[in-house]
Amino acid sequence: MSSPTTPRRQPRTRVPLVAAALGVLLAAGAAPAQAAPTTAAPPAAPAPAAAEIAQLPFMGWTSWTMQSSKYPGLNPDGDYSYLTEANVLKQADALATKLKPYGYEYVNIDAGWWRNNDWVPRFDQYARQTPDPVRFPRGMQAVAEHIHGKGLKAGIYLPVGLEKEAYANGEAPIWNAPDCTTADIVYPDLRTTNGWDSAYKLNFDNPCAQRYIDSQAQLFADWGYDFLKLDGVGPGSFKSGDNYDNVADVAAWQRAIATAGRPIHLELSWSLDINHAADWKRYSNGWRIDTDVECYCNTLVSWENSVDDRFDDAPAWSRKAGPGGWNDLDSLNVGNGEMDGLTRAERQSYATLWAISKSPLYTGDDITRLDDYGLSLLTNREVIAIDQNGGAPARPVTPAGDQQVWGAKNPDGSYTVALFNLGDAPASVTAHWASFGFTGNASVRDVWNRRDLGTQRNAITAALPAHGSRLFTVRPGTALTSTSYEAEAPVNTLTGNASVGGCDACSGGQKVGNLYVGGAVRFNDVTVRKDGIYTVAVSYVSGDARSVHVSSNSGNGSYLKFPSTGDWGTVETVSVQLALKAGVNTITFDSGTWYSPDIDRIAVPQTL
Amino acid sequence: MEIRSTRDNHPSRRGFLALAAAAGAATTLGGLPAFAATPAPRRPTASPMLAPNVAARNQLWWRAPGSATSLIEQGLPVGNGRLGALASNDPSREFLTITDATLWTGGRNDTLDGDGQFPYGREDFGSLTMLATLTVDIPGHDLGAVDAYRRTLDLAQGLVSAAYDIGGVGYRREIFASRPDDVIVLHFTSAGGTYTGTVSLAGTHGESTTADPTGRYASFGASFANGLRYGAAVTAYSGTGTVAVTGTSISFTGCGDLTVIVSGGTSYAPTAATGFRDDSAQPERLARDKVLVAARASVRELLHTHVADVRMAFERFAIDLGTSSAAQRELDTWERVQARWRDNVPDPELEAAYLQFGRYLLISGSRGSLPIGLQGPWLDGNDPDWMGDYHSDVNIQMTYWPADRAGLTDTFDAYADYCVSQLPVWTEVTQRLFNTPTNRFRNTSGRVAGWAVAFSTNPYGGSGWWWHPSGNAWLCQNLFEHYEYTQDRAYLAKIYPVVKGAVEFWETRLVTATVTDASGVAREVLVADRDWSAEHGPQDTRGNTYSQELVWNLFENYHTAARVLGRDADHAQSVDALRKRLYLPEVSPTSGWLQEWMSPDNLGETTHRHLSPLIGLFPGDRIRPDGSTPAAIVAGATALLTARGMNSFGWANAWRSLCWARLKNAEKAYQLVVNNLRPSTNGSNGSAMNLFDIYETNPGRGIFQIDANLGTPAAVVEMLLYSRPGHVELLPALPAAWASAGSVAGVGVRGGFTADLSWRDGRVTQARLTSVGGRSTTVLANGRSRQVTLRPGESVTLRNL
Repeated sequence: MSSPTTPRRQPRTRVPLVAAALGVLLAAGAAPAQAAPTTAAPPAAPAPAAAEIAQLPFMGWTSWTMQSSKYPGLNPDGDYSYLTEANVLKQADALATKLKPYGYEYVNIDAGWWRNNDWVPRFDQYARQTPDPVRFPRGMQAVAEHIHGKGLKAGIYLPVGLEKEAYANGEAPIWNAPDCTTADIVYPDLRTTNGWDSAYKLNFDNPCAQRYIDSQAQLFADWGYDFLKLDGVGPGSFKSGDNYDNVADVAAWQRAIATAGRPIHLELSWSLDINHAADWKRYSNGWRIDTDVECYCNTLVSWENSVDDRFDDAPAWSRKAGPGGWNDLDSLNVGNGEMDGLTRAERQSYATLWAISKSPLYTGDDITRLDDYGLSLLTNREVIAIDQNGGAPARPVTPAGDQQVWGAKNPDGSYTVALFNLGDAPASVTAHWASFGFTGNASVRDVWNRRDLGTQRNAITAALPAHGSRLFTVRPGTALTSTSYEAEAPVNTLTGNASVGGCDACSGGQKVGNLYVGGAVRFNDVTVRKDGIYTVAVSYVSGDARSVHVSSNSGNGSYLKFPSTGDWGTVETVSVQLALKAGVNTITFDSGTWYSPDIDRIAVPQTL
Repeated sequence: MEIRSTRDNHPSRRGFLALAAAAGAATTLGGLPAFAATPAPRRPTASPMLAPNVAARNQLWWRAPGSATSLIEQGLPVGNGRLGALASNDPSREFLTITDATLWTGGRNDTLDGDGQFPYGREDFGSLTMLATLTVDIPGHDLGAVDAYRRTLDLAQGLVSAAYDIGGVGYRREIFASRPDDVIVLHFTSAGGTYTGTVSLAGTHGESTTADPTGRYASFGASFANGLRYGAAVTAYSGTGTVAVTGTSISFTGCGDLTVIVSGGTSYAPTAATGFRDDSAQPERLARDKVLVAARASVRELLHTHVADVRMAFERFAIDLGTSSAAQRELDTWERVQARWRDNVPDPELEAAYLQFGRYLLISGSRGSLPIGLQGPWLDGNDPDWMGDYHSDVNIQMTYWPADRAGLTDTFDAYADYCVSQLPVWTEVTQRLFNTPTNRFRNTSGRVAGWAVAFSTNPYGGSGWWWHPSGNAWLCQNLFEHYEYTQDRAYLAKIYPVVKGAVEFWETRLVTATVTDASGVAREVLVADRDWSAEHGPQDTRGNTYSQELVWNLFENYHTAARVLGRDADHAQSVDALRKRLYLPEVSPTSGWLQEWMSPDNLGETTHRHLSPLIGLFPGDRIRPDGSTPAAIVAGATALLTARGMNSFGWANAWRSLCWARLKNAEKAYQLVVNNLRPSTNGSNGSAMNLFDIYETNPGRGIFQIDANLGTPAAVVEMLLYSRPGHVELLPALPAAWASAGSVAGVGVRGGFTADLSWRDGRVTQARLTSVGGRSTTVLANGRSRQVTLRPGESVTLRNL
């Protein structure tokens, strides 16, 4: 359910034209069917250097944001023409001067370094991408050397698979593999792969395919690159099915890097399939969880297309990231309001979500043109420290909606608490300490405004502008004492299809599921001592974001969307506000007319 | 039972009566333009400001500012009876949309379309439009750096305020629309901080604002194609920092305090003879004069004068429906509205505040000028739905239902003066055009007299859309009921020509019909001519219940009015004879419902929003559940009301609630109040963040209609007290949610009284009746009836009930 169904503009418009031209060739070369491959990649031997890579989310700059934009003057020689040695080095110099002191170090060259301004690619005799002499007249090594000279790291880019134009009738030899040609590394039927179908799928049943990846990795290592973005990777990149399963490619890259003699960070793109999260974590150092953040419009990005998508899509991935591999929310383009196409509030919210999600922090802005506010956003050391604290990504502690509270417990025992107003009008948002499991007085630090707000009792409320946010570090007070009620308890009332099912991750080993089309579970014995409005914690399992109608007693309740827990074996908790009266109450979760999460249990504070 | 007569004033009123001197010479209609020079208001000699804990009882509050692009749902209203504004209260950009109730395009609109009906466009019929926007930009006060934001609508003192901290420094602004000074004031203060920014006043019809550096103001003026002139002006000053008029705006730099004063208006005059204009009026210059004169007073004087004026009106009524919980009190108003619906736990303080908010709107929107139309003077654009006009088939009537009931009898003047001022044109147009052959509603008799209106009316005597023959009778229903509350003969004399004209219209419109009783006896009756039972079913039926009930009521009221004034005795007698021949609705033998048409069949929509056939239950009271009306009729009305359902929207819910209150079904009446408190999201039916009632006309599109904000409070009062001349019933429909303890003071009582009462455990514990002109009435409380006789001005307290 994770792949967006709404088509968005094709990021690389020129690729399909080339592919169409090659279609003729493909039709001529219809190949007999082959026996299905028996095995995917063999178990990977962890690369020695891998342990040191991506211990924390990487920070830097990418070329793609400005390449993809129609912002006046950025791409004077046609789409994507921003990518030149001069521009890359100019940004590298600016990065070194302005942002390196804050931890930004990668300068990442994105798509097109081997393509001319008409997007015609160039390959060496071994079917390996080779730099376009207009864009990079001194080649790629000189660029990397310049970047290294600034104390920075260099990144490069490839699409997954064998690019069609590199096939050369199957006759191109593979470097350092005397028995292999391009015909050996793909399937006889020239099945295509990647997010644009711009490459032939590599056939790793033939060892030549690994040799081809090895040859590419060696080239990058020789040139001195420290980072590779592998793009169009599936399942993901809006593709599914066997032809687009590039897990073997990614594994091959990990092996190739391990033997290339230089640590290279391997980042995967785009909209990677969460069902393969374990594969991505095993073989790579980071994965784009979503489509491009860029809008391909007159600004670099826009709020609706598609910064705000991340609020819906990040929660599912919150337990998938950690040292060695992080959820990549894409570039952070908050450095120049006019170019970014965002309000101040949107820029702050954008940076907030990236930081609390432990996303890599790489901007695509023109670093030579950062405005004061943009610079302050990109260089707030406290915010960067949250991104880099090594802890788990934050996730929502309230149901999804226009107003959201996100949080995470930090390694030092404090909490990161973020308030978001995704609505189009100002709104107040309240974080209840009970949502984080504590109560009473807690000390609050306003991170963006760099100000201690003193002690706040039970909650903090802030007025947020449209699309605005606040970011706090909270040092908790007293632990909250709650009473838990299991969904599967016999005293509860199940209606419709609702049923008790096993759940290893759930308290009591059971949950109530099948809450769909009228299915409901009513907790019948929720007992409190005082009338009041309680912060009720709901533990649930939901492999995708689902809504449920939650009510207490005779209340009309609310229809609330619970964020995805990432899969059907992980329990997460959000809290809801409900009035309870002294004595025994009911709390009901009703699916209404659609599908709802499975409910593990609820926990009700014993005190108000 | 103890009855003690006294002439003491109501204790709670003594305080503000001392403030009475503060009330300036109110602008009244009577030939003068609504926007006119007025003598300097008298300033209160003592501070009228309420202690914070007292003021808090009647405050709504929010923890976030409103959006400048959603002011209808999020702006906080202020108004001085003519000038209204919605304020966003954003720290970095205070934004007001300002509306003058008289800034109408259009005109007499007296050329009918081919079907004999009226055009209904913004050029011909016209539309209420906005006067100006006012922006106070303060770029340094970005919401992203603001702590402890809170904005408050203080209903009792007529103040909008916003307070917040930036970097630990407190800032506060107060906004009010003063009737005595005829200006809107914005007052910014801080505890050590400063304001730097720009004040911009802009017209909304393409006008150019010009600034006068020496005069310290900016202003604009223009006129409409219909000849109406208008203008607005702004000035600003500070005790610190720099204020400079530059270009078309006013800049301020480093100001620890800042006062901004706006005024504006039009050349509208409520006089048909001059085409509803005073062409000698110069609104732009007058606006400049008003802001500069006001700027010579201290802002404290302006504030005190305003608060004294508002308190005079507000404190004529008080209500306590019980105590809310600590958890409810912690929530801001919007959170509280959401929690009320989510949890279905009664929130008596919120419910009382909702009523007081309606009163606040009447005070702010209906004093000294035109009456409140569909939105009152609170627009956010120049194309309000249905022109922001006066709808004569429930909306304007409902808007004024709380005026007398909830202690705002003076606010009714705008309604009455409007009808009186329009009468000459209504009469001329009706007599010239109503019997146009293509008008499907024309009189079969071929004769026409008196006056009628269409469903929509404007302030130029113009009607819009379809003729609404029963509309005159319904407008007169409110007019006469106000007399019943006040027993004011001078008022009755003022409106008498309006009532008589409506009667004359109906004398030419009734036709005879033969009906057969259940017993099989045929008899001849008088029925209304071909018409529509607003707003569904056939458009050519005679004897619709809607018309029959309204005409019955009109004729009865005319008879009373003629008797009281000693006029037209013979005519009144003949009219009363007609009344006795009127067909009155029967109960359908098939559905069991009170018939809406002279047919046992349901010819319309079962759950239609209008309760046209129940108009004899409310606002009329020909149908009474007290034994005086045949039980079958009451049962038929109840069955019809039940069939109409509980899930409508705004005014339709309010009307249903009023009907259930009349039927003494407290829980249904209460549920409909609760339904209107449902939070509106994405345009759904219910209450917006600012408590304006939202009506979802299409999925996702909600519009503001003010009638529900006033009809719902009327329902709350009607649940606590029912009256008709000579009869008062206390707590006729008290719901369980409010039963444990409560009180209400200043309730208007038909027959010429006001009532205060308190209750405990659902029983009246004490009641006090004060005569404002009434002499004698029955009082029914706790199931017992007693007779009370008073002289005007006298009070009686009933204890041991």
